Amino acid sequence: MTVERSDLTMDELRDRIRVAGVHIPEERLALIHGLLRDALRPVRAMDTREALTLEPAPTFDAAAERDRHGHR
Amino acid sequence: MATAELCDLDIDELGRRYRARDLSPVDVAAAYIARIERLDKTLNSYVTVTAERGLAEAREAEAALRRGEAGPLAGIPVAYKDLYATRGVRTTAGSALLADWIPDRDASCVSRLRQAGMVMLGKLITHEFAFGIQFPGHRFPPARNPWNLDHVPGGSSSGSGAALAAGLTAGALGSDTGGSIRGPAAFCGIVGLKPTYGRVSRAGVVTLSWTLDHTGPMARTVRDCAFILQALAGYDPADPASSREPVPDYTAGLDQGMRGLRVGIPREYFFHDVKPEVVASFDSAMETLRRLGALVQDVSIPSIWAAPAFMVIMLGEAFAYHARDLRERPELYGEVLRDKLMAGALFTGEEYVQAQRLRSRLREDMHRALAEVDVLATPTTPGTAPAFATVLDPGFPFGRSNMAPFNMVGLPALALPCGFAPNGLPISLQLAGRPFDEATVLRAGHAFEQATEWHRRRPPLQ
Repeated sequence: MTVERSDLTMDELRDRIRVAGVHIPEERLALIHGLLRDALRPVRAMDTREALTLEPAPTFDAAAERDRHGHR
Repeated sequence: MATAELCDLDIDELGRRYRARDLSPVDVAAAYIARIERLDKTLNSYVTVTAERGLAEAREAEAALRRGEAGPLAGIPVAYKDLYATRGVRTTAGSALLADWIPDRDASCVSRLRQAGMVMLGKLITHEFAFGIQFPGHRFPPARNPWNLDHVPGGSSSGSGAALAAGLTAGALGSDTGGSIRGPAAFCGIVGLKPTYGRVSRAGVVTLSWTLDHTGPMARTVRDCAFILQALAGYDPADPASSREPVPDYTAGLDQGMRGLRVGIPREYFFHDVKPEVVASFDSAMETLRRLGALVQDVSIPSIWAAPAFMVIMLGEAFAYHARDLRERPELYGEVLRDKLMAGALFTGEEYVQAQRLRSRLREDMHRALAEVDVLATPTTPGTAPAFATVLDPGFPFGRSNMAPFNMVGLPALALPCGFAPNGLPISLQLAGRPFDEATVLRAGHAFEQATEWHRRRPPLQ
């Protein structure tokens, strides 16, 4: 389920800010970098080919029963 | 009876005394209003006090009780996090953007509690747009923790936690996107329940993150939370996520005890970086549950390490909600909040979708664990309430949360007091259960509460 992939770098963060067209002050970059790096770590570690049928729920239903592959 | 004693009676006791004509809802409302006036100058838990409306509703409740037509919570004082729309009463969401908003209708939860006879004392301060901890740049002065005024009461339902601990309301509503009901409950030594996603309506409550937001009760005992949940729960066509699942009687099984209940402890993730005094209180709580007849065992949730992907979903959805105002009126946001919301624009579409897929996996694993046990038990927070001086540092990071995983999977989760640290601040136990099985979570929490005295302690207020 996991693959090796490096953490978000500060350069990547700056690129993302430029592409998104938002302004984040220089003195807050380290904070935002930590926030994104930690949030993205499990996403980057995910092997997206391993569970191709695992579906995101467009509307979230806490009680929905699903099998290992996300099928109801 | 003195004001302090009146304001210390729980909802159960108030209801019984009202029905016995031993106590007047008007006297109780007046006592609460006087206490708010005396103590809240220091605590800042209320952003608006609705004294006149409260007294008028108390008179209505008293009349209804006399006629024998009273709702189940007639005359019980309640206050709402200032995220819940209240007809004719300013609703700020803790933000300059909504500083002058006076809604023309009540949130569904407010309507339901009004129908049940509750008496509204006012609106409780929330962190700006219900986001996270106390950031520098908030428009309103922060609520303070009644156990130690130099410490935060938790957030974002900060006023709800502080007011309950200080005896400034008998019940409150909070909202919980990543722990905003349970965090203040933990830091203030009270009880908070995040129900199953879809169990309680979000209609009329300002959104932070559509798929993570929950609404729910906060009170001083588990039984009181059950009473309020009973009045709140049920299908609401105004909330697209509302469930049609039948609503059980939440108080009927409360006294069934722990015998035969299986309690699972997920050791991975939830005990990482937890303070020794919290671990000690948690271990002691598990001993109590064993003594009460519970079968306590370890369980595994293999994908729990995916839980930090919560932040991809939360920030992405929060940015989507605020995008236009962030671009057109950024000066109306607190500066640190604004920058954190902006971070939601930095994820790719693929990352948001993968985070939702990880969420599906986490839900599967939680369900599998809950096939082995009836409830999961963890520390609610890894430590006690931090000091303002610590969290007001703009660089203060979000720590890893023991509460957010249950927002990811939508399961019911209860926070209740289970000890005190050497610094005098409360420690909290979190119990989570199967979808729509709030009854079992409440039953376990109530059994623990009946066997301990932690919920009876009161902060040293002058």
